[in-house]
Amino acid sequence: MTNDPFAALGLPARPDLDDETVRAAWRHIAAATHPDRPDGGDLARYTAASAAYAQLRTPWGRSETYADLTAHPGYGHQPSGDPGTAPMPAATGPGPRPALPLTRLYAILMIPERIRHGRPLRLVIRGAIAAAVSLAVLRAIPGQPAAPAIITGATLWFLLTGRSDLAPPPGR
Amino acid sequence: MSIWSWLKLTIALWLIRKAFKAAGWLLLAALAVAVWPLTLLTATGYAAAWLRGWPPARLTRAAAASLAMTAVYLLADAARQHTWQALTMAPARDWAHGWHHVTAPLAWRTFLLLVPLTVPAGFALAALLWAWRIYAITSGTAGLLASAPYTFDARQWKRQVRAARNRVAAPGAVPLLAARRRIPVGGTIRAIGHRWHPVFTIPAAACARHMVIIGATGCGKTNLMIRLWAGWYTAASAAARDGGPRPLLVVLDCKGGPDARTKANRTRRLLHGAGARRVAIWPDEARLSLWDIPPADLAVLLYQMTDTGQGNAAYYADILQAILTLACTAPGGPPASTADLLQRLNDGWLLGAWDDGYHPAETATIHAAARHIPDIALRMSTLLGRLGPALDGPGHLTDADAWYFILEGTREPSVAEAQAMALTELAAHAATSPRTEPRAILLAADDYSAVSRRVPISNLYERGRSLGIGVQVSAQSWQGLGADDDERYRIAATADGGIWLMHTPYPQPVVELAGTRRVLATAHKLTGAAWGDEGTTREQRTWVADPDLIRRLKVGQACYISHGAATFLQVARPQPSPLTLLPARVPSQPAPRVPAPRRETTPNPDPGLFTFDDVFGPGAPRD
Repeated sequence: MTNDPFAALGLPARPDLDDETVRAAWRHIAAATHPDRPDGGDLARYTAASAAYAQLRTPWGRSETYADLTAHPGYGHQPSGDPGTAPMPAATGPGPRPALPLTRLYAILMIPERIRHGRPLRLVIRGAIAAAVSLAVLRAIPGQPAAPAIITGATLWFLLTGRSDLAPPPGR
Repeated sequence: MSIWSWLKLTIALWLIRKAFKAAGWLLLAALAVAVWPLTLLTATGYAAAWLRGWPPARLTRAAAASLAMTAVYLLADAARQHTWQALTMAPARDWAHGWHHVTAPLAWRTFLLLVPLTVPAGFALAALLWAWRIYAITSGTAGLLASAPYTFDARQWKRQVRAARNRVAAPGAVPLLAARRRIPVGGTIRAIGHRWHPVFTIPAAACARHMVIIGATGCGKTNLMIRLWAGWYTAASAAARDGGPRPLLVVLDCKGGPDARTKANRTRRLLHGAGARRVAIWPDEARLSLWDIPPADLAVLLYQMTDTGQGNAAYYADILQAILTLACTAPGGPPASTADLLQRLNDGWLLGAWDDGYHPAETATIHAAARHIPDIALRMSTLLGRLGPALDGPGHLTDADAWYFILEGTREPSVAEAQAMALTELAAHAATSPRTEPRAILLAADDYSAVSRRVPISNLYERGRSLGIGVQVSAQSWQGLGADDDERYRIAATADGGIWLMHTPYPQPVVELAGTRRVLATAHKLTGAAWGDEGTTREQRTWVADPDLIRRLKVGQACYISHGAATFLQVARPQPSPLTLLPARVPSQPAPRVPAPRRETTPNPDPGLFTFDDVFGPGAPRD
């Protein structure tokens, strides 16, 4: 049995769920597990879902529960089951700030996600242009000092302009 | 001299002048063709600036950034060449080689060989030419028609707006927080006096001072304010991680209504995304305790919240204040709730508390005012009853990371005014109380004019300034900023965090505060119906923030005025990172206690009370 009310309702642990989503999730579980059902239902699950619904039915309650979840690392997080919303990485509670290299490593690890949530097509087009220019240069002036310079310029252009096509990093 | 001779001389002089001019142009054309790679890149840079409405600074920065190419080129060339002469002559050799056999592939090769040098040089030259063009057009010395300065400006404005809109459409261009704790607000359309940056940012410290936002309904004021709140919160959270005080955002939505709920929910979602853990919406979902205020301040507040009137009423006002002070500062401690205060407002209780032999003056006051105490109790009961239970606790301002207070200023102005007074006092208490954790506080009042009858915004400002609280005030118009011009000017003139103007039909007073700048105006002499080539140029002063431009601002466009300079920008819609942010982490602070929400009556948390009808609704078919 999980002590995460979001998990009890099969919802992602997000503070910005709307009332209707929470109510629909509870109705779905309650209809399947209510003890009045001919098959006896599932009292334990029904009880857990109902308690979770009581906790999560208002925006304030969700905000509170979310805050508690993030404040206590012992609580678990469910992965997003809603394809219409962005997934959320597991939140951590208050604790020592990670060392700078770890922060940087985390930022690097997040780049694929930032690309996915940004404008990947534009990024691909920019990358293709930079690559095409570089290849054309290598083909037209191989071994000339201008070749590495132009490739540097194309890379720099890609990095400077492509940044805006990435989703903002966490914390921004 | 005969007429014929004079005519010949005149024609000869004209021809010489024209020949010199033509020779000059031909020389220039020959030079342009000779250095064609540079010409090509200069033309490209110039055309880009013209089409996108860039300022020359944009091209200069592009030239500076492309110097990296030049550096790599020089390093690579230095590795190949053994003498300095060979190194310096290499580009000239490459250029000269391209002229031996002029073919398309060879021209392409020559162009590529020179790119590391021609890109920075070409962009720098384009910046110079573009700056000269802007100067010549705006000062009236260029252009085919007398109207050239206006048409040029209007065309460039359209292009600048289009470029700014495209810029803010990129997901990562305008995050909630930029480097060096600056708050990005939107894409820059035009900067006058401020340094131009593609994305306009303000320092987070500006939000911690005083800021004024003026804009008509539907012009995107809410977007701007929410962006500033989220940006400030993100910046302050980052500062908190480095040991600074935790942020506390207090928003007073003084107009209320259903729109306020929508706005509150949007603010909450964004703040959660920005790392806020507890965002409380008052009075719908959370309560506060008015009784946390220190007893003496509480007495003054209760007195101020009561409409006491003028003239003879002043006598009763004094009695009211005296009794409230006695009730709040009684030796047994301050009241803990409305019921507790009302219980104290009778002479029996007050005498019981004060008549201990040590407080003769207080006892005498109670005796003197005894016949008025029931009236005072009635007034207090009415006042606190109208305020509702949401200020009767439990709950503390510091329990949450952000509070969104909805005051029904349109529907119940007098109640909202009293609530605003109480909430402002609670914020002041949170800022100054030595017993609570120090917090970085931003107090934002949206449409404060709805409740400013009894608490002028200037008071709010002055209190905020003295307590170190950032105060942000918005109004729908200049007139809505205060009761009279004196107060309006006092508010606008002390907005050291800057003034935001959105579409408003009367921007003149604020524009005057922004000041003027010097421009050159050229008058041309008319020769008949034609525009002659003689005239005068004189220096004139024009507004830094053009009021006509402000009147014509579209939805989402704003003008930021600060330090005698103005920046027009396209405000970006605030969105948190879709990667969902981690909550604010404060190493040394324990997680704050859960603020007490209003007790919910339904549904009962006891799961056993849920029935099948709750699930399917009444009368739903069963199998």
